[in-house]
Amino acid sequence: MCRAHAAVRHLIAGILEEESVTTIVDMEAGLEHLSRGTGRHVDTLVVMMEPYYRALETARRTAELGRELGIGRVVAVANKIRDDLDRKTVSEYARSHGLEVIGEIPFDDDLRRAEQKRTAPLETNARALGDIRRVAAALVS
Amino acid sequence: MTKIAIAGKGGTGKTTLAGTIARLIAREGHEVWAIDADSNPNLAVTLGLTETETAELLPIPRTILEESKDEEGKRKLELRMPARAVCEEFGAMAPDDVRLLVMGRVDHAGAG
Repeated sequence: MCRAHAAVRHLIAGILEEESVTTIVDMEAGLEHLSRGTGRHVDTLVVMMEPYYRALETARRTAELGRELGIGRVVAVANKIRDDLDRKTVSEYARSHGLEVIGEIPFDDDLRRAEQKRTAPLETNARALGDIRRVAAALVS
Repeated sequence: MTKIAIAGKGGTGKTTLAGTIARLIAREGHEVWAIDADSNPNLAVTLGLTETETAELLPIPRTILEESKDEEGKRKLELRMPARAVCEEFGAMAPDDVRLLVMGRVDHAGAG
């Protein structure tokens, strides 16, 4: 393993040992970091679910890996939900694979616009912020 | 304090959630560090840093890692400085006092 990768690994481990700090790690799309060590140091893994099969499959595999690594709390958040069928697709998939969904974020054009304009979601009036706030509360409770 | 990793397929809103909850949790009075471990780093924007502020982030030198030997003479790698010092020197301060560290800024030049 190259020195830069080793530096990242040691640095993440060191960061996650800082007990007084709440840490949020935005993982890469693949599972590499998780299996390479980050997973050993986090207490909560949030997997994002969208009402599309491939996103659901990735969420399931990520959750399985998280459990294998011994992460104490593995939960899901449903995102970009547009209607009851979306909601049902995600919740049934989650239930059949034993995944707890701690929050649901609706599809929100204001979030999409924020992304396009490269502004922070919190600087917008997106209605989905209320749902994101509930997710935050569930995670630190 | 809790250590949360957010994962999922690209485009599922990981970064939007990560950046937004980081600031919301910080507003409750917690010290929050946000770590961008994505190979396509975007967390800065979601946290509310400007593109100029993001571009000005110092690269993290690979020399934060040093090689030493344990009691039995076995080689081992460890951080030369505390993680907090790395965050303070190479991280950026985002709104709501969230500290951002971008792993992609670790210097890969001459990797080996």
